[in-house]
Amino acid sequence: MTPELLSSLSLLAPELIIAIGALVLLMVGVYSGERANTTVTGLAVAVLLAAGAWMIVFGQDGAAFGGAFVTDGFSRFMKVLTLIGSVVTMIMSVGFAKAERFDKFEYPVLIMLATLGMMLMVSANDMLSLYLSLELQSLALYVVAAINRDSVRSTEAGLKYFVLGALSSGMLLYGISLIYGFTGNTSFEAIAAALSADGNQLGLTFGLVFVLAGLAFKISAVPFHMWTPDVYEGAPTPVTAFFAAAPKMAAMALLVRVTMGAFEPIASDWQQIIVFVAIASMLLGAFAAIGQKNIKRLMAYSSISHMGYALVGLAANSENGVRGVAIYMLIYLVMTLGTFAFILSMRRKDGPVEQISELAGLSSTNPLMATILTILMFSLAGIPPLAGFFAKWYVFLAAMESGLYALAVIGVLASVVGAYYYLRIIKIMWFDEPVGGFVPMAGELRLVLGVSGAFVLLYVLIAGPVGQVAGAAAKSFF
Amino acid sequence: MSSEVLLTVLIVLPFLSSLVAGSLPANARNAEVWLAGAVALIGLAITMSFYPDVTGGDVVRYEIPWLPSAGLNLVIRMDGFAWIFSMLITGIGFLVVLYARYYMSPKDPVPRFFAFFLAFMGAMLGVVTSGNIIQLVVFWELTSVTSFLLIGYWYHNANARDGARMALTVTAIGGLALLVAMLLVGHVIGSYDLDAVLASGDTLREHTLYTTILVLMLLGAFTKSAQFPFQFWLPRAMAAPTPVSAYLHSATMVKAGVFLLVRFWPVMAGTEEWFWIVSSAGLITLVMGAYAAIFQQDLKGLLAYSTISHLGLITTLLGMGTPLAAVAAIFHIVNHATFKASLFMAAGIIDHESGTRDLRRLSGLFKYMPFTGTLAIIASAAMAGVPLLNGFISKEMFFTETAIRNPNMFANLALPIGAIIAGIFSVAYALRFVCGVFFGPPPTDLEKVPHEPPSLMRIPIEVLVLICLIVGIIPGIAIGPYLATAVVAVLGQDTPHYSLSIWHGFNLPLLMSIGALVGGVILYIMLRPYLALGVEGPPLMRRLVGQRIFERILVTISWKWAKSLERWAGTRRLQPQLFLLVLICVVTAWFALRPGFGPVKLQLSGWDPGFVILWLVGIFCAIAAAHQAKYHRLASLVLMSGAGLVTCMTFVWFSAPDLAVTQLLVEIVTTVLILLGLRWLPKRFQKGDADHIALPTKLRRYRDIVLGVFAGGGVAALSYAIMTRTAVPDGISRFFLERAYTEGGGTNVINVMLVDFRGFDTFGEIAVLGIVAITVFALLRRFRPAAESVEKPEQQRIQNAYDNLRPNRQSGDTVNEYLMIPSVIMQWMFPVIIVLSAYIFLRGHDLPGGGFAAGITMSIGFILQYMAGGTRWVEDRLRILPVKWIGTGLLIALATGLGAWAFGYPFLTMAFQYAELPIIGKVPMAAALFFDLGVFVLVVGATVLILIALAHQSVRSPKAARSSVLPTHAVEPPPPPTLETSTVEAPGGAS
Repeated sequence: MTPELLSSLSLLAPELIIAIGALVLLMVGVYSGERANTTVTGLAVAVLLAAGAWMIVFGQDGAAFGGAFVTDGFSRFMKVLTLIGSVVTMIMSVGFAKAERFDKFEYPVLIMLATLGMMLMVSANDMLSLYLSLELQSLALYVVAAINRDSVRSTEAGLKYFVLGALSSGMLLYGISLIYGFTGNTSFEAIAAALSADGNQLGLTFGLVFVLAGLAFKISAVPFHMWTPDVYEGAPTPVTAFFAAAPKMAAMALLVRVTMGAFEPIASDWQQIIVFVAIASMLLGAFAAIGQKNIKRLMAYSSISHMGYALVGLAANSENGVRGVAIYMLIYLVMTLGTFAFILSMRRKDGPVEQISELAGLSSTNPLMATILTILMFSLAGIPPLAGFFAKWYVFLAAMESGLYALAVIGVLASVVGAYYYLRIIKIMWFDEPVGGFVPMAGELRLVLGVSGAFVLLYVLIAGPVGQVAGAAAKSFF
Repeated sequence: MSSEVLLTVLIVLPFLSSLVAGSLPANARNAEVWLAGAVALIGLAITMSFYPDVTGGDVVRYEIPWLPSAGLNLVIRMDGFAWIFSMLITGIGFLVVLYARYYMSPKDPVPRFFAFFLAFMGAMLGVVTSGNIIQLVVFWELTSVTSFLLIGYWYHNANARDGARMALTVTAIGGLALLVAMLLVGHVIGSYDLDAVLASGDTLREHTLYTTILVLMLLGAFTKSAQFPFQFWLPRAMAAPTPVSAYLHSATMVKAGVFLLVRFWPVMAGTEEWFWIVSSAGLITLVMGAYAAIFQQDLKGLLAYSTISHLGLITTLLGMGTPLAAVAAIFHIVNHATFKASLFMAAGIIDHESGTRDLRRLSGLFKYMPFTGTLAIIASAAMAGVPLLNGFISKEMFFTETAIRNPNMFANLALPIGAIIAGIFSVAYALRFVCGVFFGPPPTDLEKVPHEPPSLMRIPIEVLVLICLIVGIIPGIAIGPYLATAVVAVLGQDTPHYSLSIWHGFNLPLLMSIGALVGGVILYIMLRPYLALGVEGPPLMRRLVGQRIFERILVTISWKWAKSLERWAGTRRLQPQLFLLVLICVVTAWFALRPGFGPVKLQLSGWDPGFVILWLVGIFCAIAAAHQAKYHRLASLVLMSGAGLVTCMTFVWFSAPDLAVTQLLVEIVTTVLILLGLRWLPKRFQKGDADHIALPTKLRRYRDIVLGVFAGGGVAALSYAIMTRTAVPDGISRFFLERAYTEGGGTNVINVMLVDFRGFDTFGEIAVLGIVAITVFALLRRFRPAAESVEKPEQQRIQNAYDNLRPNRQSGDTVNEYLMIPSVIMQWMFPVIIVLSAYIFLRGHDLPGGGFAAGITMSIGFILQYMAGGTRWVEDRLRILPVKWIGTGLLIALATGLGAWAFGYPFLTMAFQYAELPIIGKVPMAAALFFDLGVFVLVVGATVLILIALAHQSVRSPKAARSSVLPTHAVEPPPPPTLETSTVEAPGGAS
C-alpha cells in the first residue's frame, strides 16, 4: 500500500470501523439465532461508540483520497451529532423491539450502514463522494422505512419514500453532471476555483438548483417535504425517531459544505434558493402541524419547520450563520430525541398509542413525564430561556447580521404559529380531563427523556462553551 | 457584601426558592408563606441597600461573561429607575404574599401557587435589572410564561384556561416581536449592552430601520401593557386568583410594557412616528378603558378596565415626548401601583367574605365591613384623582402636560379633551365602585353574611392606602427624592425642573381636575338608572369585543388556513407528490434551456428523415407503453421493448456499435425475464367504462399527459443535443482514445475501459450482479402468487379442453407439441450460440463484444432452450450450477486483480500481449482477458440463476397467498426449487 493510501485510510478510521463492524455484525446476526436482535443491537451500539471515541481521540484535520474526503472541526462536530442520533435511537428501539416483535437483527445493521453513509456525507468534499455517500445512506433508509413489511402503512411509506427519493437522487445526479459539465471538476475546491475564475453561468444555476433540490429532499425541506409526514407516521416509531434525528444532521452538514465549499463564489444565487426554501419550510411546517391529530405526523411537520429555521442560519452565508446551523442542529437533535423517547413511552396495556388526544390529563396521571414534555414543547416553541430559544436566536442573529431582516421577521412570525400547536399539547396535558395513564416508562427511555429535559433546561449554563465549540467548527469554512 | 453578590442574589434567589416552594408538601401553607415572604423581604432589603449607589444617575453593573462570541454577556444593572421598580416588585410582592396567606383556600395546591409566584417575581426583577437587551427579552418571555401559569392556576375553570391561553398568546407574540426589535437594535448599534444602546439614541433615530424597530418594540410593549388594540386579554385574565391580579395586573407585569417604553424613551422618543403611534394608542386606551370600566358588572372587571385606562394614561404621557411628561409617567406608574393593588385586594376581600364579585348583587356592605370599606373608599378616591391623595398629583401633572399650547392640532385639541373625558369617566367608575358596593340598601341574596376579614389580611391594604395618603399630602418628602432618582436615571441631563407640591394656584389644570370631579359625579348620577338595569357590558361597544375578533382571527389562521394549506400541500397520495416533483424539474429545466438563456443550445435543424421516423416509432412505443401499463401489461411490455430496440438503433446510428450490441442483448434477456414474471402478476386492473370517467379525472389525466410530454420531450431533446454536439476537444474521451491501445492493449475503447481503466468499478458491478441474482432466487423461493394468478393461463386451458374432447389425445399433448419446428431449430442452434458467444468474448478487446456481451449471449441460448423444451425438459438437462458459476467468476476476476500484486503493480493492473493460437490465429492475450472471463462466467451464472428461479414457478404446484398482512413466518414455506434437483453436475462444456 502506498503511503498516501495509508494516510487516507487512517483519516477514514471511524468510517472503516463502522463499515467492517456492519459487515461482521451481519454475519453475527445470521448465525446467532433467536436472540440475534438484542446481541446485534448491543454490538452495533458498541461499534458506533468506538468509532465516535476514535474520532474524538485520534481525529485530526486532513484530506483523503485526493481531497474527496475531508475531516475538519465541522465534520467532527456534525459526525458526533449523527452518531449520538444513531446510538440513542438504536438504544430506544430495544424496548419497542421486545414489545412489538420488531426483532429483526437487520435493523441495527441497516442503521449502521445508514450511519456510515451519513459519516461519509458529512466529510464529502467531492461531488462523487457526495453522491455515493448519499446513496449509501438513502438505500439503507429506504429499507428501514419499510422494515415493518407486514404492515401496509409501513410498506406504503417505504415505497413512497423510495419512489420520491429515487427521483430526487436522479435530480441530484443530473445537477452534478451539469456542474461537472460547466466547471470540468467534481472536487468542491476545484468547482469553487472554477466558479470564481469564470463567474456564474446560467446553465450552472440550473445544476445548482438540482443539487440543492436533491439535498433539500434529504432534509425534508419544502417543496421536497411530501414524503416526511407519511414516512414518520407509517414507519415503526423507533425508525421515525431515527429519521427525525440522524439523517437530518448529516444532510444538513452536507448542504452546508456544498454551499459553503463548492458554491461559495456564487453565494448570492444559492442564498435566494435557501431563503425561499427556509421561508416555505417554516411556514408550511408551522401551519400544517396545527391540524394534526397524530403526534408522529405532528413531529414530521415540526421537523420540517425546524429545518427551515436551521436554513435561516445557512442563508446568512457567514461564519456566524454556520455556527448557528451547528448549534441549531445540536439543540434540535436533543429535543427530538427527548420527544421521541416520550412518544415511544406512550403505551397503554393494550399497545402503543399515537393520538395527541391520548395525552389528555397526563399531568395528573404522570406529572414528571408531563413536566419534562412541557419543557421540551416550550423549548421546541422557542420560549426563553430554554435551549430552543438559543437555537433560534443564533440563526436569526446571523440572518440579521447579513441583512436578511425580512427572513428573520418571517421566521419569528412562523415560530409564533409554531408555538400555538406546541402549546396545544401542553394545554391538553395539563388542562384536559385525564383519559388514563400510560404503562411505566422503560429505563432507557426515562434516561433519554431526563437527559434531554435537563439539557434543554440547563442549556443557559452551558451556552457559552457550546457556542465556542460550534464556533470553532464553523471556522473550518473561513 | 459586595454589590455583585447582592445583585446576583436578588435575581437568583426567587428562582431557587421557587424550586424549593414547588417541592414542599401540599399542606405546608405556612412554610410556603414564610419562604415567599422572606424572599420578598430579602429582595426589598437588597434593593433598599442600593439606594445610595443609584442616586444622582449612578449605575451599578455586574457583568458575567456568558456568550462572548455572540456578543452576549449577562449584565445585572441597577439604576434609579430599575431601583424604583424593584422596590415596587419586592414591596408589593411581600404584601401580596401576606394577603395570599389568608386568601388562598387550604384546599388549593398552595406549593404550586408560591412556586409560580416566586418564579414570576424573579422574572420581573430580571426584566427591570437587565443590562443586556436580549437578557431583557428572555426575562420578558419568562414573565409571560409564569403569568400564564398563574392565571391558569385554577385550571379546572374553563375561564381560567381560556384567559391564560389568551394572555400567553398575546404577550408571547409581543415578546417575539420585541426580540426581533432588540436584534435589530443590536444590529444597528453593534452592541446589546443597555448602556451602549442608551448612549446611541441619535444613531438609532436616524437609522433607516428606525420605524421597523419602533413598530416591533411597540408591539411588545402594547401587548404587555394591554394597550389598544391588544387590551382585550387583560379582563379575561381576571379569572386568576385575586392576589395574582393584584400583583401582576396592577403593580408589576402590565407595567413591564410601560417600563420598556420608559427605558427606551431617551433613545426612541421625540420623533413624529413615536408621537403619533404612542400617544394615539395611549389616548384611545385611556378613554375607551375608562368608558368600559363604568359599565362592568364584575368588580374585578371594573378594576381591569380601569387599569387599562390608567396604563393608557401613562402611555399617552410617554407619547408626548417631553421630559416633563416622562416625569409624570414615571410618577403615575408608582401611584397607580399602590392604589390599584390595594383596590384589587379590597375586591378580593369582598369576594372572599361575601361570596360574589357581581356588582348587581353587592350593596350596602359598609355596615358589615367598615374598616375595609374606608380603605377601599380612600383608594378609590386616589384612583379618581381626589386632592390630598397621590392619584391627584400625577393626574394633575397629566392635565398640565395636555394643556400645554402646542402647534400640533391633535395635541392641542384631542389630548386635553380626551384627558377631561377620561377624567370624568374615571370619577364615575370610582363612584360606582364605592357606592355600588358599600352604600345603598343591605344586600339580599348573598350566600353568607359578610364580615371583616382577619386583621392580618387587611394589613397589606392598610400599608398601601397609608402610602397613598402620605404621598398625596407630603409628596416632596415622601416620594420626592426617590422619584428624582428614577427620573434622573432615565432623563439624565435633560431632567426638567418639576414641582411635586399640591397647590400650584388657580390654573387650567386645576380647573380641569375640578371639572372632571364635578362632571364625574353628574355623570354617575345620570347613569344610575341605566346601571340599575344590570346590563352586561358597555353600550355601543358591547358588540365590538376585541377578544372575539382576536379569537376569530386566530381560528381563521390557525384552523381554516392550516386545514386548507394541508389539503393543498400535504397530500398523502404519491401521484400528486410525483406530479409536483416532476413539475418543478420541468420548470427549472425550461428556465435554464430557454433559447438564448443558457449556454446549452439545441441543434434543431438538419435532421435525417430516417432518424426522425425511427424516433417517432420509439416515441409512439413509449407513450403507448405508458398508456397500456395499467390495463394490459403484456402489450405494454411489448411496446417497451419496441422503444428499447429504437434505443439500440439510435446507438448504431450514432456509431456506438458495442453499446448497441450490449443494449440489444440486455433488452432481450430482460424482456424475457419480465415476461416470465408477468405470468404471476395479478390482473387487478380491468379497463373501466370510458364513458363514465368523471370530468375532473379526465382533466387530471390530460394534465398529466401534458406534463409527461414536456418532461419526456425535454429529456429526449437534451439527450439528442448531447449526442449530436461537436466533440469537446479536451474532454475526457480523448484521454481514453489515446491511451486505450498504448496502455490497455485494446482498440475497443469501451471494453478496455471496462476491464482495465475502470476495472475496479467493473469488479464491483459484477459483484452486485451476483448479489442481485442470489437475492432474486432467495425472494422467489418463498414466492406466493396472488389468488387469481394460480389458475393455469387461458391458452393452456383451451388447449387442454381441446385435448379432453378427443379420445385419441391426452390432456397436455397440445401444450407439449406446441411450436415443434421452432423448438427443434432452437435446440439445434444451441451449439451455434455457444460458438457465437465465444467469438464475441474473444474479439471483445479490439472489436465490439466482450465478457459481458458474451455472457448475455450465452444466457440467450439458455432462454431459447427454455422456450423450446419447457421448464422440465431444461431442468433435466441443465449442467450448470449457477451459484458456483457466480462464485467462480468473481474469484477469477479477483485473482486477475491480485495477480498484479505478484508483479509489484497496484491491484488490477493489466499486462497485455498477443498470442498465436492454432486455427484461430492471433489473439490478444491481455491479462484483461482473464478478468473478462470472470465477467463472462459470472454473467452466465447470474442470468441462469434468475431464469431458474422464475421458470421453476411454473412446475411448482402454486399456492395462493392467504393474506398480504399475515406475517410471513406464520406461513409454511413452499418447497423451494432446490438447485440439486435441476442440476446434476457441471462439466465445463459451456465455454
